[in-house]
Amino acid sequence: MPPITRLLPRKQLTSLKPTPPTRYLTTSSIRPTRQIKTQPLISPRTHPTRTSTSTLQTRSRSYHSSLHPSLPPHAYTNSQIAILEASLSHVPTHGFTHASLTLGARDAGFLDVSVQLFPRGEFDLILFYLASRRGLLRAKAESEDFFREFATKNGIDASSLEGKEKVDVKIKMLILERLRMNDNIRDQWSDALAQMSLLGNIPLSIAELHALSNDILNLAGDESVDASWYTRRAAVGAIYASAEVVMTRDTTGDMSETAEFVERRFEDRDILSKKVEVIGQCFSFWGNTVLGVGRSYGLKV
Amino acid sequence: MSTMSARSAWRTLHYSAKRRAFQPSTPYRCFSCSRASQDPKSDHERMTHFGFRNVPESEKESRVGAVFSSVASSYDQMNDLMSLGIHRLWKDHFVRSLNPGSPLSARINNPQQKGWNILDIAGGTGDIAFRMLDHATNINHDIETRVTISDINADMLAEGRKRSIDTPYYNTSRLDFIEANAESMPHIPSNSVDLYTVVFGIRNFTDKQAALNEAFRVLKPGGVFACMEFSKVDNPVFDAVYKRWNFSAIPLIGQLVAGDRDSYQYLVESIERFPSQEEFKGMIQKAGFMAPGRGYENLTGGIAAIHKGIKPVTKA
Repeated sequence: MPPITRLLPRKQLTSLKPTPPTRYLTTSSIRPTRQIKTQPLISPRTHPTRTSTSTLQTRSRSYHSSLHPSLPPHAYTNSQIAILEASLSHVPTHGFTHASLTLGARDAGFLDVSVQLFPRGEFDLILFYLASRRGLLRAKAESEDFFREFATKNGIDASSLEGKEKVDVKIKMLILERLRMNDNIRDQWSDALAQMSLLGNIPLSIAELHALSNDILNLAGDESVDASWYTRRAAVGAIYASAEVVMTRDTTGDMSETAEFVERRFEDRDILSKKVEVIGQCFSFWGNTVLGVGRSYGLKV
Repeated sequence: MSTMSARSAWRTLHYSAKRRAFQPSTPYRCFSCSRASQDPKSDHERMTHFGFRNVPESEKESRVGAVFSSVASSYDQMNDLMSLGIHRLWKDHFVRSLNPGSPLSARINNPQQKGWNILDIAGGTGDIAFRMLDHATNINHDIETRVTISDINADMLAEGRKRSIDTPYYNTSRLDFIEANAESMPHIPSNSVDLYTVVFGIRNFTDKQAALNEAFRVLKPGGVFACMEFSKVDNPVFDAVYKRWNFSAIPLIGQLVAGDRDSYQYLVESIERFPSQEEFKGMIQKAGFMAPGRGYENLTGGIAAIHKGIKPVTKA
């Protein structure tokens, strides 16, 4: 397994091309020469190196841009990552608790008191778990044959990966894969969900859920640019979150109950979207008919 | 009639304070004699601030000493009056967030775990020390954690000793008192302390950076420096109310209750002169500590702030 530090979602600075050097075009005329400055397509921006975490945490943007991928909501220092990573190995036995953090700190060569590095306590551990699993999922999905392998392992027809429904099929695969990552902490996850539902923790939990659904859709190759961008993310988020709750009570060894649940939610979603479509068609038909009848009676519309 | 007399009493107090603070804008200069040039303190010695006044560094220690010797006996009563009792909530919150003591789950199967070694600087009256020991004992069931109270002022330590008689920690190895200057503590070995706390004390230090460096030295790698101190209020409206309270009410309460106006005048002036949250965080980082998260936590809108720093672990 590659080190977690490299898998944590990070800003993709490499995708930005360096700006071309600014050129000046001079026009020869009788009037005083003006210089026309060519506007570079990408505005020149300096990207500070990751030296201090505090400056990064305060920076946030209120817009979305594919040229500038969104900043990660959490930035960890090396010591924090060392402790959190060590703590995760204690989670299956001690849960997402202070005890896990303390034991992790000790494993990483720190003292009991060093858990002061995490002002949010257990919730920091939960956030780290979510963010690191998200990074792992991305690393997996970006590897060559993830979808094909997943299909053969689970008896899914590989031709569906090329057909019209390929995005939906991939989304389902990614959700199931992400849920299976929770397998060894399944019994502790209800505690984590309880922590995440505390009033002060809700904004960060929602942000993390959105980041996950965003990642899943991007990795599945979704390219919607209309209002469905929002509805799709909301739908994936809702399906994943509800599946997590089902997972905590799933007694089957291989999570087949959860997989079935996800399957049913996707069917529901399809039925729902079809219903909405049919209702829309019905209304537009009646609207047009009424308009036509009105016009035939001489209404100036 | 009574309101009139009360008002005139109030005026007297008010004006006497102003008169007391009056200082000539130019120092004494005599052209016919060489007294000014003989004044040894004028140029050579480094100056530091004592409230709003500048005093030589060598003098600050004794002046602060005088202030705290005079307030030691009425310290708790005055804190309650000045902060309207809120200081107790701050202190409780401070100790709870530090969670001193190793919980049972971490001590089991680990015999070499001997509890925390806590150093409470400027904790003469034992406010924080007793709270931390209580927390370790009652919450974490850790009866090994011990606190060393260090204070520069013998009167404050005597007050703490007197109070410790009423606690279960009196005359046990868990509680220790030493009189020391926090800027240099040669009797405390390097890398020996788990938790270093200084609550409402660092404001009075002559050289704060030296104290921070000393804290860094005595802490074990991974140890925590935690400091609660008055700070800057961020809301301007609340700040105006707070300043009014500080500069009008607190010296008055000091005069009426403790019979010592000057000490409390110094107190509010030293609060005003203490660096802001961000500046002080910079000082902590300069000493070598890592600041977790934002580095500080504001209490009651920034009247007080808890600063934390962790000594990094260097991998061999």
